[in-house]
Amino acid sequence: MPQFKIAAVLALAIILQLSLREAWPPLSHIDFPLIVVVYVALQRDAWTALIVGTIAGLAIDAPSGGLIGAGGFSKTLVAYLVYLGATRINLENALIRIPVLAAAAVIDGAIYFFWQRSLGHPPSAPFVQTISYNLIGTTVVGTFVLYMLDSLFNPTASQRRQFASRRRGARRSKGLSKRR
Amino acid sequence: MAATRTQKEIRQRAPIWLVMLLFANFVVMAVDARDRFSQQQTYKGLVQAFFSPIQTATSWVSGTGGGFFRQIVSFRSTANENEILRQRLAETELELRNMREAKNENYRLQGLLALKAEAGPEKVYARVIARDASVWFNTIMINRGSSAGVALNMPVITPGGIVGRVVAVSPVTAQVMLITDEKAAAGAIIGQLGGSGALGSVRGLGNSGLVEMRYVSGLQKVDAGDYILTTGQDGIYPPGLNVGEVVEVRPGTATEPHQIYIRPSARLDQLTEVAVLLYHPPQRPAPEQTLPNVDKKKVMSDK
Repeated sequence: MPQFKIAAVLALAIILQLSLREAWPPLSHIDFPLIVVVYVALQRDAWTALIVGTIAGLAIDAPSGGLIGAGGFSKTLVAYLVYLGATRINLENALIRIPVLAAAAVIDGAIYFFWQRSLGHPPSAPFVQTISYNLIGTTVVGTFVLYMLDSLFNPTASQRRQFASRRRGARRSKGLSKRR
Repeated sequence: MAATRTQKEIRQRAPIWLVMLLFANFVVMAVDARDRFSQQQTYKGLVQAFFSPIQTATSWVSGTGGGFFRQIVSFRSTANENEILRQRLAETELELRNMREAKNENYRLQGLLALKAEAGPEKVYARVIARDASVWFNTIMINRGSSAGVALNMPVITPGGIVGRVVAVSPVTAQVMLITDEKAAAGAIIGQLGGSGALGSVRGLGNSGLVEMRYVSGLQKVDAGDYILTTGQDGIYPPGLNVGEVVEVRPGTATEPHQIYIRPSARLDQLTEVAVLLYHPPQRPAPEQTLPNVDKKKVMSDK
C-alpha cells in the first residue's frame, strides 16, 4: 500500500475534521481520522496502522481543549484492536465492517473520556449522548468512506469482491436450475 | 518464505510497538495534565504553535465552503424573513423619530463615557482560526498569542458581550474556553434598570448554548429579558461587561434560589473576530493563614 497515499488521505481527514465543525457543528460527530485509522488497520499492516493512529489522534488533540495524547492513545489502541481482528477474522465484507466501525467509535470515545476524566480534565459534553452521536455519524459515513478508500487503494480487492458476488449469483441460479 | 517470515516478525513485534506508542502517548498526556495544574501550558503552547499554520489553512477552507453551504440553507428562509422585515421596517421608522431625539442626549453622555473608555484595559484584536476538533470541549483557537501580550485567564469579548477566557497560550495562538463550557464561570449581576441588582454566578451548560445563573435568592425579582453583567469579583472579567439576556426563569422560594437561564449576547456559534482584554485583575490581600486558636494559646502562654 503506497505510504504517500495514506499520508494524503490522513491529511485530508484531519483537515475535514478541523473544518467541518465550523461549517455545521453536528458534522463534528463524524470522526474522519478514525475512519482512516480503521481502514489502514483492516489492511493488516500493523506498523502503519499504529503510526497512523497515533498521528491522527495527536493532530486532533492539538487544537482541542482536551489533554494532548488522549486521542493518540485511544486511536492507537483502536488501530491495534482492529488489526488483531483483521488478522483472525475475514473482514473484507462491507457488511462486517459496519460493526467494526461502530465498535471502533465506541472504544475510541470511551478510552478518550476515561483518560480525560482520570487525569482531572473531564470533558464538558455528556458521555452517552456524545458517544451515541459519534457512533451513528462515524458508522454511517465511514461505511461509504471505507468503500471509496477500497476502490482508491485496492482496485483488485474490489474487483475480487465483484467477481465473488457474481460467482455466488451464478451458483444460486445453477442450483435453482438443477432443482427444476 | 521470506515474506511469510516478515509477516510473522511483524505480528510478533506489533504488541511491542503498541506498548511503546501507548506509553509515549501516556507520557505526553501526563505532562500536559501536570502543566494544566501548574498553569504553565508551555508544552501545549509549543504543540499549538506547530499546528497553527494548518489551522489557519483549514479555517480559510471552512470559511469559504461553510459560507457557500450557509447561503444555500438561508435561501429557503428568505421569503419568511422578507415578510418579517417589512413589518419591522414600519416599526423602525417610528422608532427612528424617537432615536433622533435621544441622539442629542447621547452626544452629551458620550463625553462622560469617553473617560471610562480611556481607563479601560487595552485590547488585542484576533481572528478565530479553529473550533475544537473534538466534540468533547467548547473551545476556540485565535490567531494572537503571548507575542501580542495575551496571557492565561485573560477575558475575551466581542462587541456583544463576553466570549470566554484564555486557557492556553502559544507565541502565535491562544485557546479560549467559551463561557458556555460547563467548566466556565463568571461572577454576574442582574443589571436591569431600577431592578433587583441581584448577585450570582453564571456557569456554562455545555452544548445547549445557554448559561445558567446560580445563587440568586428566590426572593429577588427576575424576569425574562433582564440583562446580566459581570461583577468583576471572579478575578478574570472586569466589571460591567455584558454576559447576556435572561431567557427563562424557574422561580425559587425563600429557601431555594432561582434557576435562571441566559442566552449569551456574543454570538458564540458565529464567532469570527474577538478582542482579548489585556486585563490584570486587582490583587487581593492574601487571606490570613494563622488560626485564631493558635494566637489565643500563644497569648495565654506569654501571660
